[in-house]
Amino acid sequence: MKLRTFLAFVAPSVAIMVILIAVPLVGIVYLSLFQSHTKTELVELTVEVPTFGGQTRRDTRMSPQPVLDSSGNPVRVWTYVGARNLEKATDLDQLAQALDTMRDGAEGGLLRRMYQEATNIDFWAALEFTLLYTFITTPAMLAVGLGLALAVNSVTRRLRGTLVFATLLPMIVTPIVSSLAVYWLFLDNSLISTLTNELGFGRFYFLADQVTTRTLIICYGIWFSAPFAFIILYAGLQTLPQEPLESAMIDGANEWQRLRYVIVPHLAPLITVIALIHIMDAYRVFEPILVFSSDVYASSVQYLTYFVLAYEDNIHKAAAYSLLTIVGVILLLVPVLRHSFKERRVQL
Amino acid sequence: MSRRKPVWLSCLTASSLFLWTVLAVFPFLWMFLISFRAPVDAFSSSPKLFAPFTLSNFYQIWVVDEFWRYAINTSIVTLATVAVSLTIGCLAGYALARYRGSLGFWLLVAALVFRALPHVVLLTAYKPAFFQLGIWSRYETLVVVLVAINQPFTIWMLRAFFVNIPHELDEAAMIDGCSRWKAFRLVIIPVMWPGVITAGLFSFLLAYNDFLIASQLMNGEMTTMTAALGNYMGQNTSLSKVMYGVAGAVTVTIPIVILIYAFQKQIVAGLTAGAVKG
Repeated sequence: MKLRTFLAFVAPSVAIMVILIAVPLVGIVYLSLFQSHTKTELVELTVEVPTFGGQTRRDTRMSPQPVLDSSGNPVRVWTYVGARNLEKATDLDQLAQALDTMRDGAEGGLLRRMYQEATNIDFWAALEFTLLYTFITTPAMLAVGLGLALAVNSVTRRLRGTLVFATLLPMIVTPIVSSLAVYWLFLDNSLISTLTNELGFGRFYFLADQVTTRTLIICYGIWFSAPFAFIILYAGLQTLPQEPLESAMIDGANEWQRLRYVIVPHLAPLITVIALIHIMDAYRVFEPILVFSSDVYASSVQYLTYFVLAYEDNIHKAAAYSLLTIVGVILLLVPVLRHSFKERRVQL
Repeated sequence: MSRRKPVWLSCLTASSLFLWTVLAVFPFLWMFLISFRAPVDAFSSSPKLFAPFTLSNFYQIWVVDEFWRYAINTSIVTLATVAVSLTIGCLAGYALARYRGSLGFWLLVAALVFRALPHVVLLTAYKPAFFQLGIWSRYETLVVVLVAINQPFTIWMLRAFFVNIPHELDEAAMIDGCSRWKAFRLVIIPVMWPGVITAGLFSFLLAYNDFLIASQLMNGEMTTMTAALGNYMGQNTSLSKVMYGVAGAVTVTIPIVILIYAFQKQIVAGLTAGAVKG
């Protein structure tokens, strides 16, 4: 295909990605460098203040009012603040203080105290749980997915369709809805906590404690993403050549050895791809945190930015968080990208 | 092929599959079950399997809270998003599958990076810009934004499908005197439908499942079903309102369940095509 034809074919797609993805990325850098506020001026206002007996009294006072431009919109003043938004977002001062605690004394548990202080800062707390979530769910969803793929592969063909249907549900149903469905099960006095009580484990308030909240969100994450690993690994198992398996059996390999030395190596490339895609998705975990309103115990970078944007309505702070998020995404992707560059060079 | 498996392994397989199926389906089943109940029976402190049946939650959310408006908005937005993103995605995916220069590779890498971005990052930039331009809370805006967000994934997936269509096919047409465009139209379009249906399903799911963008970009009557569920969430919501939310959530789930039932094969094919061949 000629370059010109190629450009003509990809033009609409590239145009929409440039205008709505690439340009906004630049816009975020710009936004994060400024602060803005609505310009106000003191205006003399006269109001009728009711006194008693139906009488009124004129009251004149100075009151701040937004300045309107010629078309009637309030004027916003933008001031350049450089990296200050970023510094505030990461709260470097407090982080430095937290680090100082370590240097001051040498008693035990300091590392822990330092860690606690650092995670008192919104951004670091959000980053901490995001990374925790990412690094726990990734191996877990791979393990569950692989287990399911092996199990489904060994049952009779008639059951497989039903099993795949059930498995697709957690992954494909709207994440907000599936989070809600799980949330309603774990509400105080709802089904699960009543069941644990009646079975004699005591009454749990799952959403009122850090450990249970975090466990619940991480379990939700595994439940939600394992089907993806399952589908791909299951497809991979269908392409598994039979000869190595048979020769392994002739050599006396047991089930575990066949899994470890024949099946897993065959699936290794797929496992890499699943891990990559899952890490990208886990880094932007959002719905369960919003639905469980768990931000006190477990927040995420995407949730924090959303919160600042939607409730604090501070675009500059949100832009600073976004910028930090982008840095995180790039750091996560660097190893993968380097890998694909190498492959590309081999191809050329 | 295999010898007989040890008994313990078969037992383990069967029981873990059973456990998983229960885990996967139960939250949705329970949600479905309690959506037909009065608040007291749904969240009573001793849960019951059977409770009086009522449709009042559905009546409340659909008629009184006018959920049908949001259902219409969702239909408009998702259908338009699927149509637009497939049209431009097919062109790009086809070109990426046939072009051999390094520009195509760079485009795919850029798309991969865009695919990894959390959506809230883009939303931060849209918010002030769309206010300035006065295009807030309009179908067109939401559709264009969803198409853009969808595009990286769509072109990766469609490229994987087009690579599988033998290039001799369109080359033969071009030797016979077709231009590239004509070859695409006459030879490729008739054979590309399986791939396009799959990519369309995933575009549909992304647009339909989106909460973040729609909840911030659309307000009032313009919002979508998924985003409207936000009105029924939060710890301060009264129990009866939570029940309307349960009915709403069931409403949102039903089309998805039908979709999985009807297109299970295509969904599986799409997931594997993206990963195995991409």
